[in-house]
Amino acid sequence: MQEGEQSRTPVPAVRTEDLWKIFEHDGQVVEAVRGVSLTIEAGEFVVLAGPSGSGKTTLLNLLGGLTRATRGRVWVDGNDITRLPERQLAKLRLERLGFVFQAYNLLPVLTALENAEFSLLLRGVGEKERQERVEALFARIGIAGLEDRRPGKLSGGQQQRVAVARAVVGQPALVLADEPTANLDSATSGSLIDLMAELNRDLGSTFVFATHDTQLMERARRLIRLVDGAIVDDQRVELDT
Amino acid sequence: MSVHVSILTRLALRNLRRQTRRSLLSGLAMVVGLALLAFSRALAAGAHEDWIEAGVRLSGGHVTVEAPHFHARKTLSYRISGDELRAVNDALSTAGLAADVRSSAVRLEIQGLASTAVSAAPVTVLGVQPGSERDFSHLAERLINGRYLAENDRLHAYIGEKLAERLGLGIDSRLILTAQDAEGEISGQLTRVAGIFRTGIPEVDERRVEIPIGMAREWLGADGSATSVALLLGSSDRVQDVVARLDHELSSRDADLEVLTWREASPGLDAAIRMDDFGDWVFHSITLVVVALAVVNTILMSVLYRVREFGVVRALGLTRTETGVQVLIEGLLLSVASGLLGIALGLALTWIFFRDGLDYSFLLEEGFRAAGTIMEPIVRPRFHVSQLIGSLAFVFGIGILASAYPAFRATRIEVADAMKFEA
Repeated sequence: MQEGEQSRTPVPAVRTEDLWKIFEHDGQVVEAVRGVSLTIEAGEFVVLAGPSGSGKTTLLNLLGGLTRATRGRVWVDGNDITRLPERQLAKLRLERLGFVFQAYNLLPVLTALENAEFSLLLRGVGEKERQERVEALFARIGIAGLEDRRPGKLSGGQQQRVAVARAVVGQPALVLADEPTANLDSATSGSLIDLMAELNRDLGSTFVFATHDTQLMERARRLIRLVDGAIVDDQRVELDT
Repeated sequence: MSVHVSILTRLALRNLRRQTRRSLLSGLAMVVGLALLAFSRALAAGAHEDWIEAGVRLSGGHVTVEAPHFHARKTLSYRISGDELRAVNDALSTAGLAADVRSSAVRLEIQGLASTAVSAAPVTVLGVQPGSERDFSHLAERLINGRYLAENDRLHAYIGEKLAERLGLGIDSRLILTAQDAEGEISGQLTRVAGIFRTGIPEVDERRVEIPIGMAREWLGADGSATSVALLLGSSDRVQDVVARLDHELSSRDADLEVLTWREASPGLDAAIRMDDFGDWVFHSITLVVVALAVVNTILMSVLYRVREFGVVRALGLTRTETGVQVLIEGLLLSVASGLLGIALGLALTWIFFRDGLDYSFLLEEGFRAAGTIMEPIVRPRFHVSQLIGSLAFVFGIGILASAYPAFRATRIEVADAMKFEA
């Protein structure tokens, strides 16, 4: 499923072509995503913005293969995920994608370290390497020493940092974050955004956010606005560095 | 997948520990259910063995050797000759069979009429060897008046209480037995009542008359012959093996005889035990369903409560099947751990009651009567390895069956929907 031009030009982190998602709810047909065609290059830091119900989260879910498109195609790192069978899609999510959710969604029965290393564990990475990578990451994102704590014993900001660590520890091609700062106070949001921008810059992972958060929008290097499931604006932003 | 199974098992164990009270309560239901199941199966096996033992002692033994067609026709035209009786004795003395056969009884059985000056009644006359019969049937122990037959008796009869009442008989009363002899002629024999027994089983107390086999042979013109050889074995489990070997031994001695199991010789007893087995099966099935529902409830609640978590692990790279496997593992861990504990408890109960048995005499003074037998009120549970294997299979079966639906529900969870789920 690799795209033909892969050998000559870099493969986009994600590309969509006339993407549609139509739901039927209580007899009503809802077009959550309408004909979205989009290319996000590797290493971009992109924000999908728009009012509630604009289709940001649905588009993010489509990009991550968490929901199947009604029509159209999605390529992630050159793989057409709309055609992938369940098992291969799961493998792609494991190896090429990272997710950060609004409600942190750490597994409550695992410690912070076990949560962060979960995808490495599924990939069969050895214990020593897993531990070294997670501990290095924890030190970098300011949660060193919290490895053995269960999520219930962490603050919201700490939990979201563990969730970010879980998303990036496997060095995925694409990190998808749905309202990652929505449950955090302004200061904690700010530092989390700094952290993700830093990881984007240093690790080269592509970040795509769905958010209302103006702080996050201000830090985006590309801002895509959605209204009623369609892209109405797509701007690249030059940041002062 | 093997790496994932170890991760899934770790997650399953942690999730069971997470809802400790719920897991413990379901586990307790399983422990109690399986303990009762294991013990009641052992008790039922013990009761059935006692029932079979009591039934076969009063009838043809665990294994009966007869002439072909005697079982259906019950006439002296189909009897075991003197030579054939010697062949049977030779066969029984072979090493393999002697170890299994606890006791044997040679009998000459005929349907006839018992009459006095007052009245007459149809009876089954059994010519017996008093010495061996005393050990075999235990009918001598049911004596209520007079004495049991002795080896040197000639014209004596041992009759049931109901027959004595019907014919107005007492000890030393005269009784005339009439039956068709070996030549097909009607022949009568005068006897005197030596003893009267009471089993509590109407068909035995009304119809059975025992007389010395020597007198029966002389009266019926069946010198040296018999109609059956009844064998009592150490255990009913050995019946099929003994039948096969005896058949082989008799064939090698050119003895054209039928070897019947107690199920073939006593179809009434067989049917009663099969019905009782079915009843036990229904009871055990209900117990298992109740136990399984407790496990289903725990695992299903756990799945419904963790919809978002299943969505997360799917997003992180687990497949639908793997999330289902995780739930199956949870159910199996809960079922197997508590099931094994329950079986161990059931076996402990079996062991406690194994030596002295469970005394039901507070319910019934004279034991139970069913299908032409009388059972002692003390039942000793019996343990078979097959019960243990069956119970273990039940445990795994419950684990898988009770987890199957919750596991299926887990595989149906859509990741995007799961993220909207509020526990």
